Amino acid sequence: MTLRRTACAALLAGATLLVTGAAHSTEIFDEDEVALILSHGPWPVKTDPDPSNRMSGKPAAIAYGKILFESNDLSIDRQRSCATCHQEALGFGDGIARGFGIARVDRNTPPLFNMRLNRWFGWDGKSDNLWAQSIAPILDARELGMTPEILKARLVETPNLADGYRDVFGAPLATHDAETAMVNVAKALAAFQETIVSGKSSFDRFRDALAAEDKAGIDAYPDPAKRGLKLFVGKGRCDLCHFGANFTNGEFHDIGMPHFPAPGRVDKGRYGGIQHLRKSRFNLLGPFNDDGLRATAGFTRHVRLTPKNWGEFRVPSLRNAALTAPYMHDGSKDTLADVVNHYSEIPEERLHQDGEKLLRPLHLSDAEKADLVAFLRTL
Amino acid sequence: MRHFLPGTLLCASLIAAGPALADHCPSDTLSKLPEQLKDGGTAIAYQTNPAKIEVGKPSIEVVACVDGDKHMAPSRIRVDAGMPMHGHGMNYTPSERKISPGHSSFDGMVFHMPGHWQITFDVYEGDTRQRLTRKVSLKR
Ligand code: HEC
Ligand code: HEC
Ligand SMILES: [Cu+2]
Repeated sequence: MTLRRTACAALLAGATLLVTGAAHSTEIFDEDEVALILSHGPWPVKTDPDPSNRMSGKPAAIAYGKILFESNDLSIDRQRSCATCHQEALGFGDGIARGFGIARVDRNTPPLFNMRLNRWFGWDGKSDNLWAQSIAPILDARELGMTPEILKARLVETPNLADGYRDVFGAPLATHDAETAMVNVAKALAAFQETIVSGKSSFDRFRDALAAEDKAGIDAYPDPAKRGLKLFVGKGRCDLCHFGANFTNGEFHDIGMPHFPAPGRVDKGRYGGIQHLRKSRFNLLGPFNDDGLRATAGFTRHVRLTPKNWGEFRVPSLRNAALTAPYMHDGSKDTLADVVNHYSEIPEERLHQDGEKLLRPLHLSDAEKADLVAFLRTL
Repeated sequence: MRHFLPGTLLCASLIAAGPALADHCPSDTLSKLPEQLKDGGTAIAYQTNPAKIEVGKPSIEVVACVDGDKHMAPSRIRVDAGMPMHGHGMNYTPSERKISPGHSSFDGMVFHMPGHWQITFDVYEGDTRQRLTRKVSLKR
């Protein structure tokens, strides 16, 4: 009895504390800042099936896609799969600077969350759809090293993969040519990947509380994260590019990262991505788009190639950033603190002369840097 | 086609302008579209769809008339946009669908960042270009 009453009193005291605490924490954001914060949600974002992929959202294709994603039979030496580089425990990345399959690739393995929200795929946006992006590693000699013909032969001789194919695509593998079979495999892989969606983060709960003016919820979000968020939407201007609910505008920018994967070899970034996109048979304007109306092909039809695309890379989503180290297209930043240091002391001479005028060194104090990192870790 | 009177430069240019002269600017549409711009003899009206531009992908319908009260359809309209303060343009090149002379709709406008944009309308009459601009500010 007494015990319970004490507990009750303590709870009440807690409640009062929460209310006073809340008054303090809402004070740190003015009206404009609240609007900016709300623009990073709500989460999750509702998505529809991908019209370019008739398998999108189909349970049988999703299940088959998961088997394919984890199958070593998709690699020439039967030693690796998509899941070798995209490991669930590491946020569907691999935790190393640059992906390593049969050989090392030039870029960091990105996580595979929330793929339905992407307009472009790959750091250079060389694909305009998820199934085309899933074909690339199958054929890349450094990743899975296959050809369409070998892939088809592999599927034919592997009973569970051949049966799965027939069940999902409604026709025996033998009746499809090798290229069609490969595209179908990629569409099942895409259907599976689309189901990898990140849940509500601590930031999302804070944002919901802010929207609902729920003082207890607002107060539960740590103060360093709040201060970091204030920098993110304020003097950091991070949200010009890391925009909206997925913390990316889906486009390409040059933030002054070097782009020489090896001496004498240049990563063309977005410039090479557009070149590749335009000549790909697997783009949304090509014959494998399942949507006869080409309703989602507008970006591909209109994309503009200009010299400024050299050295531009896609703005990555920052969701689950704490899980996806190392960072940047080349994996050259080990920690979020390293990333924040980059923005703080950004080498102006590295920014293209006619490039991003909006970027300049922020010269953050150590305390500000720690706050920004604390915020990024809540995403 | 009109008569061809050889010899005078004036006449040659008249012939070049011939087809445009015949097509009057759709001035009724001009007054209907919500956004109005005027510079010297050139008048433009446009509307975006959706009406409120967001960071994303609207289309834009444009009517342009040249030569003041005579209201003639221009030979060509071009639309583009950029962020002067950031020093960049759009990542996409709009494509034109002609509705009638001087009246076109453009697809593929993508304002990919929040902030201050400037939409540029280039209105051509033969070789002369008149540039009209409109500032728009996109919220985050
Ligand atoms: C050798 C390691 C490796 C393997 C194996 C691999 N990937 Fe990747 N993946 C990468 C790297 C590196 C990138 C970045 C590529 C780029 O930007 O050019 C990437 C990018 C992607 C993307 C684009 C993600 C985004 O945000 O744009 C998708 C989707 C993807 N991979 C799916 C797959 C699938 C499906 C497979 C199996 C068929 C696979 N990957 C096999 C390393 C790998
Ligand atoms: C001009 C657009 C732009 C602005 C402004 C910007 N970023 Fe970025 N950000 C990018 C691009 C582009 C990349 C990838 C660059 C690369 O890999 O070469 C990136 C990468 C990152 C990464 C690495 C993510 C990963 O998965 O590899 C983090 C973290 C990050 N930015 C945080 C921030 C913060 C914090 C700010 C504000 C201080 C900020 N960004 C401002 C465009 C921008
Ligand atoms: Cu800009």
